[in-house]
Amino acid sequence: MNTQTRLEFAERLLAEWSRGTSAPQPHRLDVIIDPGDLLAAAGALVRSDWGYLAAITGMDPGVATGALWVLYHFAEGAAVVTLRITVPRDKPAVPTLHHLVPLSEIYERELSEILGVEIIGMADKSRLFIPDDWPEGVYPMRKEFEMADAIAEGQK
Amino acid sequence: MNPTQTADRFIIPIGPQHPALKEPGHFEFTVEGETVTGASVRLGYAHRGIEKGTESRNWTQNLYLLERVCGICSHIHATAYTLGVEQLAEVEAPPRAQAIREIFAELERIHSHLLWLGVAAHDAGFDTLFMYTWRDRETVMDILEEVSGNRVHYSANILGGVKFDITDKAANTILKGLDFLEERTHHYRSVVNEDTFFLQRTRGVGLMTKEEALRLGVVGPTARASGVERDIRVDAPYIAYHDFPVNLVTLPTGDLEARFLVRLDELLDSYRVIRDILNDMPEGELTVKRMPRKMKPGEVISRVEAPRGELFYFIRSTGGESPDRIKVRTPTLCNMGSVIKQAVGHNLADVPMILVGIDPCFSCNDRAVSIRESRRNGQEKVWNWADLRRYGIEFYRRKMGLESSILE
Repeated sequence: MNTQTRLEFAERLLAEWSRGTSAPQPHRLDVIIDPGDLLAAAGALVRSDWGYLAAITGMDPGVATGALWVLYHFAEGAAVVTLRITVPRDKPAVPTLHHLVPLSEIYERELSEILGVEIIGMADKSRLFIPDDWPEGVYPMRKEFEMADAIAEGQK
Repeated sequence: MNPTQTADRFIIPIGPQHPALKEPGHFEFTVEGETVTGASVRLGYAHRGIEKGTESRNWTQNLYLLERVCGICSHIHATAYTLGVEQLAEVEAPPRAQAIREIFAELERIHSHLLWLGVAAHDAGFDTLFMYTWRDRETVMDILEEVSGNRVHYSANILGGVKFDITDKAANTILKGLDFLEERTHHYRSVVNEDTFFLQRTRGVGLMTKEEALRLGVVGPTARASGVERDIRVDAPYIAYHDFPVNLVTLPTGDLEARFLVRLDELLDSYRVIRDILNDMPEGELTVKRMPRKMKPGEVISRVEAPRGELFYFIRSTGGESPDRIKVRTPTLCNMGSVIKQAVGHNLADVPMILVGIDPCFSCNDRAVSIRESRRNGQEKVWNWADLRRYGIEFYRRKMGLESSILE
């Protein structure tokens, strides 16, 4: 299967949950889906053996948007399909993909620690990357996070 | 930390200072008797906030920051970033620059794989092999130093091209070095493949089937040693890999022996491809005429094959002088999960080799493992890494019917 066929196949697999698609680069397909459809959509890719979960990117598009973005990148050969999820900033949560993709746990723990997105159903909530004495509820990848404030807070 | 204790079961904490990880990592292994029944990992001891750091630096400064994510594969991080930014800027580096990038990428793979071979040999108790490989590795370090002025952070990339040309004199030095390394690599391959004592530590140890490898999402030589046909250089050729392709090296067996052989065969292929490039080096400029200071808004994904496997960069620009978000997913993270899964069911004596088998980035010097035994009988024993390594080596010496005292 060449890259284009792979992307078309993925698009058909995901059509049921798609809220819009785009192709930011020639070998990529971005599919916007609702958080509630994540398990179904990711499950469809996994069950069809469409690639593997290459990374999860958590992103803060800015305080004004009132949202956070979570991007699930699946790769197969040169083709990359990204499931794009928007969650509300005041209560960001996504379900764990752990049962579908065992590796997702490491990415999800990072996501919850640095961006403050709750992972529903995550078995191990212990800290993976940030220090044990890092304050609760402070997420470094949020745009409002200021290093100087964090240092001042730590020196108190 | 309180070790969980039942009649024959206790937890062995390993780390955070560990020999085999680019970051110090902390592992906890639960054992029953000598068999590992559970494992968990804690990372972050060297988390430096580099992703956050990129948001407050401009596009050029970030090249130098990201190059320092890793002290072994610096060039490949810079390459992933540079390729992503060049796509945002809609420029393409000239063919000669792309060829030089590939030469550096493969030289980097050579020094990384040789480094790994030495450390893996050491942890298996084969210190002579360790010393020979590290002596030979100096050949490629000298080449890198001669061409770039640096041994590790060669900084060959700039946005839109490369900094250094490969002169005819440099090309001769490289070719001479490769001849020597090729001969040595054939020797190491026969040691790893034929030495009975070495095979005791590797054959059938740390088995991972192709199905498991796919399910766990492992990458790089670790995946290819389980028969997974996955190599970004082949699947999605970047820089000059279109014009100077590499051969996909896979083995079906999925044990530690296969992980040795895949890396050794990749070394031989790296020597070949560097010769191919030097024989047919494209002429022309080293950089593009103009590289913008601000990047157009957009999102790019850049994937490259680092020595340890797929390196993934996601870069988002909102049109400014700095990126809005850079996400870096390193191959060791993918492979870490497999260590946890593979260790379960193995003897404690195999743990050092299983950890080393994925080639986690080595940059820690301190080697400490503490092993806590049950306090049930009122005794507590603490081992360090050297003790655990010795335990592994002596376990196999006993198994092979050798008196360890004879070999001391």
